[in-house]
Amino acid sequence: MALEQSACQKCESVLVSRLFCFSCNALQTFPNEVDFFEVLGFPISFEIKSAELEERYQQLSLELHPDFYGSAPEAEKRLSESATAILNTAFNTLREPTSRADYLLHLLCKKQKLDERSLPDGFLGEMFFLQESLDELLESGNEAELSGMREDLNGRQKNIEADYSPLFKKFEDNPEDPEILQQLQTHLNAERYLRRLLDRIPAID
Amino acid sequence: MAYSEKVIDHYNEPRNVGSLDKSDMNVGTGLVGAPECGDVMKLQIQVDPLTKEIVDAKFKTFGCGSAIASSSLATEWVKGKSIDEAMTIQNVEIVEELSLPPVKIHCSVLAEDAIKAAISDYKSRNKD
Repeated sequence: MALEQSACQKCESVLVSRLFCFSCNALQTFPNEVDFFEVLGFPISFEIKSAELEERYQQLSLELHPDFYGSAPEAEKRLSESATAILNTAFNTLREPTSRADYLLHLLCKKQKLDERSLPDGFLGEMFFLQESLDELLESGNEAELSGMREDLNGRQKNIEADYSPLFKKFEDNPEDPEILQQLQTHLNAERYLRRLLDRIPAID
Repeated sequence: MAYSEKVIDHYNEPRNVGSLDKSDMNVGTGLVGAPECGDVMKLQIQVDPLTKEIVDAKFKTFGCGSAIASSSLATEWVKGKSIDEAMTIQNVEIVEELSLPPVKIHCSVLAEDAIKAAISDYKSRNKD
């Protein structure tokens, strides 16, 4: 997907991040609805290399840090604070595959109304059964079975995560197909149930 | 955010926790979920086949305090009602009774859905 390039409000160089110009070091005013990909300067796509994301985040947080604007005019001081806040939110959203997929899905489905509660067939019954089994395991404190269950759930979570990338690619090739985004929504819903189960299993040291 | 006293009461002493025999023809089972938070709720009713009155109700909910309180309250309310009366229970009544804040309204919706799902399960198994 093409990235709409914006120009620096001061020197008119092409911006990497919508928040800051690396050419002339000027803070940029940004609209409230700025998307997190623009914030970090990546094309709107699920494919992001985590090392690159991390590096960009480090660069920007250094440049935007409110400590460096202590003696700057009030407006600039405030801008550095709001830019830092949105930078942190954007980074935390995009770094983790599930929250990135969730965010991107909502950016992409503006035109399409999704069934937000969809789940795979029979999934809810299975989750109820697993929750009940987990109750019993927690009661009995059987660590071997608990870690078996954790491994199983982690495996299923990984399988879901592995589907995000091919599904988003499929959508790029078939943007008119309404099923693909719905499928992603179903995946994200299922992932949330697995996460809820995993949250209940205490870490074993 | 603080829970209301009634939520805490139902959470600490949930009414009617448990299961009814799913295979009993007079039992209807509703299983519903809220994928936005990963909650899952099972609500069961036992119906008197002659009077169509709900004589017993049980629930089990894996979710937050408000979801547990909403389903606990729902089982109390459906008991003694006819299935037609129980069908008219609205989530806003649960919101009012438990003083649920706006972010927890979906918990009451879940409880209403669970009642309706249990009744429709009962009806579908007892078609004349």
